[in-house]
Amino acid sequence: MGRIENRIRRLRFDHDEMTQEELASRAGCTRQTIIALEQSKYVPSIELAFRIARAFDTPLEEVFQYEDS
Amino acid sequence: MAPLQRRALYSFVIGLVLTIALIAVFAAQGDITAFERDPNLRLVTYAVLIGVPLIYLILVNLTLRKPTQFDERDRLIIEKSSRAQWLAVIFTLVVWTIALTEVYQDQGQVPLTFLKLIFTSTLIISTLAHSFGILVGYWDINRNG
Repeated sequence: MGRIENRIRRLRFDHDEMTQEELASRAGCTRQTIIALEQSKYVPSIELAFRIARAFDTPLEEVFQYEDS
Repeated sequence: MAPLQRRALYSFVIGLVLTIALIAVFAAQGDITAFERDPNLRLVTYAVLIGVPLIYLILVNLTLRKPTQFDERDRLIIEKSSRAQWLAVIFTLVVWTIALTEVYQDQGQVPLTFLKLIFTSTLIISTLAHSFGILVGYWDINRNG
């Protein structure tokens, strides 16, 4: 089984230290989901993953990476 | 705490307090037939019967329209909590069935009051179990992902 990692925290920092609240608002999800994603405790749906990537104006694979274990 | 989680907690606590109050009133009356005799007891029962699902509806359902308050993760938890609700309903009916059978086996009939009480208790427990299921769902997803 592989593992899905993400760079959300890093990307928030790179985007003028965007707050979790602001990212949640842009991606259309709750702040708690952003927290869970950053802690790798939740794997989003494809749709939410695309919305998060769009919020950063970056390709999906820049945000989420699939890693073989 | 997520908005849905907070509202489920409020709903559960208020529902639990109302239910305990109802049980206390029944216990104070000392007899189940008081439900038929005492109009005040019926009023309290009906208030709880309507109040608990109404509070649940207002707190959990109606306030979760915004995407920043309710998203796919919350939806996943709600779906899982339905399992707890279903189990609680089945368990309640099993308990009623066994208890009434054992108590009224010799008489061969059960007082009509129990029909209303079975319905009332099942509805209240169903609502409480859904709130409880949501709380457990958040606890589980925050712990295990």
